[in-house]
Amino acid sequence: MIDKSPEYRFKKALGVSMMLLLVAFAALPTLWALILSVRSPSAVFEPIWESPLALTLENFFNITRSDFPKALLNSFITAGSATVLAMIIGVPAGFALAKSRVSGKFIASWVLLLLRMAPPVGFVIPLFLLYVNAGLIDTYLGLIVAYMTLTLPLVVWSMWNSFAQVPDELIEAALMDDATLTQAFLLIVLPAARPGAVAAAILAFLVAWNDFFFSLIITRSSTTTAPVAVMNFISFDSVDWASIAVASIALTLPILPLMAIANRYIVQSLSGAVKG
Amino acid sequence: MKHLLTTALVASFALAAPFAPTSAQAEEINVVMFGMPYTRGLQKLAGDFEEKTGIKANIDVIGQDVFENRITLSFTGRSGDIDVVHAPVIQVQRWVQANWLKPITAEVDAMPVKGDLMAGPLDAYRIDGEQFAVPFMAATGLMTYREDVLEAAGVGVPQTWAEMLEIAPKVTDGDQSAIALRAVPGQGFNMFIFPMIMRAYGGKFFADYTGGDLTPAINSPETLEALNVYSKLINDHAPQGAGNFNFAEVNAAAQNGQIVFAVEGTGVAAQIVDPEKNQYADVTGLALPPGGPAGRSPAIAVHGLGIPASAQNVAASAKFIEWAVSTETVTKIALSEPFANFTTQPVAENAEVIAKYAAIHPDFLQVQADALNLAIGHYRPLLPEWPSLGAAIGENINAAVNGLITPEEALENAEQEMRDILGQ
Repeated sequence: MIDKSPEYRFKKALGVSMMLLLVAFAALPTLWALILSVRSPSAVFEPIWESPLALTLENFFNITRSDFPKALLNSFITAGSATVLAMIIGVPAGFALAKSRVSGKFIASWVLLLLRMAPPVGFVIPLFLLYVNAGLIDTYLGLIVAYMTLTLPLVVWSMWNSFAQVPDELIEAALMDDATLTQAFLLIVLPAARPGAVAAAILAFLVAWNDFFFSLIITRSSTTTAPVAVMNFISFDSVDWASIAVASIALTLPILPLMAIANRYIVQSLSGAVKG
Repeated sequence: MKHLLTTALVASFALAAPFAPTSAQAEEINVVMFGMPYTRGLQKLAGDFEEKTGIKANIDVIGQDVFENRITLSFTGRSGDIDVVHAPVIQVQRWVQANWLKPITAEVDAMPVKGDLMAGPLDAYRIDGEQFAVPFMAATGLMTYREDVLEAAGVGVPQTWAEMLEIAPKVTDGDQSAIALRAVPGQGFNMFIFPMIMRAYGGKFFADYTGGDLTPAINSPETLEALNVYSKLINDHAPQGAGNFNFAEVNAAAQNGQIVFAVEGTGVAAQIVDPEKNQYADVTGLALPPGGPAGRSPAIAVHGLGIPASAQNVAASAKFIEWAVSTETVTKIALSEPFANFTTQPVAENAEVIAKYAAIHPDFLQVQADALNLAIGHYRPLLPEWPSLGAAIGENINAAVNGLITPEEALENAEQEMRDILGQ
């Protein structure tokens, strides 16, 4: 029976209003960036109601003439590669940790968690000096390896949890049917843990995509990624707010479809890889 | 699944294979600078340097915050990955004290271009008899004003800050305020502007800087008067929110017609009087910043090029610096970029350069030269501790302007913090 009392309606209206307020608060910076991105440079600081028609697409064309598109490509290359490599190494590692009967798994889990939680600033100086000596500064390889310190523990940790939810009986049944362990892993376990794998890959990509610190330290003009390139619109005697807004939107756009996919798979992976 | 894994593996190797490390070649140098018209212009001319010398220059022009992080890590790690570095004069004392810069006296003495450089900015990089960098730019403080508004109000261009206070209410009209000044705290922000007022009223940072007496003396009646003027201008005669304006907001306020006066660095002033950047440029005049009982003291900020102590190829680095400040290179940049505050003197005699800046504003080069002649090299003290001192003083000045503490408390706090930083 639906409660239609005034008290219930009031509470519901209050709840909805508060939610809308929170959504508006959270969405405000994005909306502001959207408005700034289409404002003409001379109207950037004017209230929009004073010159609502001072709109232009010139800011989008301007940014294509800067180094930002190259930085965006660099972000795709490095975050994508670090994700692919972390999945190739991390997924079997997660399976081994979840299913093998070896001692020290507890310690391994803590070491992994520690790697996930350690702030990059803790090991950036030795990493930087190592990279200088190895000639890895301003190389894709250097940045991808650095990103893997972020993505690999994330993938191993989350895949460990996903594989732990797959019943051992499934693997044992496959082995009894003469499947090899590799076949059991690839054909039985991995499909069962697919939601977790997709979620891990997307989260790993986002961690690398949003990185600022490693890119700040170990890249130069050839491999600078987009989050650092945004800062280059702030110069000694000017701040190009319109370009910063366009760049911020360009940085966010690729994430939106990923977040939609991730949302679905994260819910699935949390509710259990295998139902039954 | 096998197919998927194979594809992923092949893709990852395909992506990773071309990304092998590239080590610096013998005749290749790395130059790190932060964004401004000169550095952007220099970056575009990198091919010229390679053509002339056979040395490839990788010129990285980055945001100022990114620059600070990268060079600090490189200097402290003595990594040798930077061969030529952008050296603001205000930072160089600290870098020299930390042994981060290489003395290049012999290299500079051997440069034929040395005689063409302005003596003041060049000397600003001489510490204990050694040259540590070569200037390419000297920005100074200038005042822009709306000629049409002054004419309508029947007032002239203020020559002193006291006159500015008198004129301000007469030119305020609705949404149009009289003035905007940098107020956000920072040694390069409010501490680029406030000392112009402080020195005009006879205030000073130290008891006798030139005589070597570095006893803090900012808590004086003269500085207090200056702080009251600065605070009154920002609180009573500037747009809403001006208590935390930086150069970008001042520039925007001028370009939107929100203010009549702006006192800014050359780079921003040049944008305010540029018809391509400002719809009010044709009715905007340019003058020296106002003075006071102690005269006029335009701000000055010198930028140059130095060689980090860990740089490997000093000869190539010196060749780059010589080329970067040469008359030929600087003339090209002055013509291609909005860059008028060069320190290579013969560039100012180039007819094309004169014509270009006269078209932007007929008085531009002359007013800038007058301001540079009036500016004192130690406008902001040339001390290793200045970045910390400037930050501490700037915080207190900003707090007073925004009413968080009284002006008297601000100066008392600032002087005490100066003593603490200097260990006195």
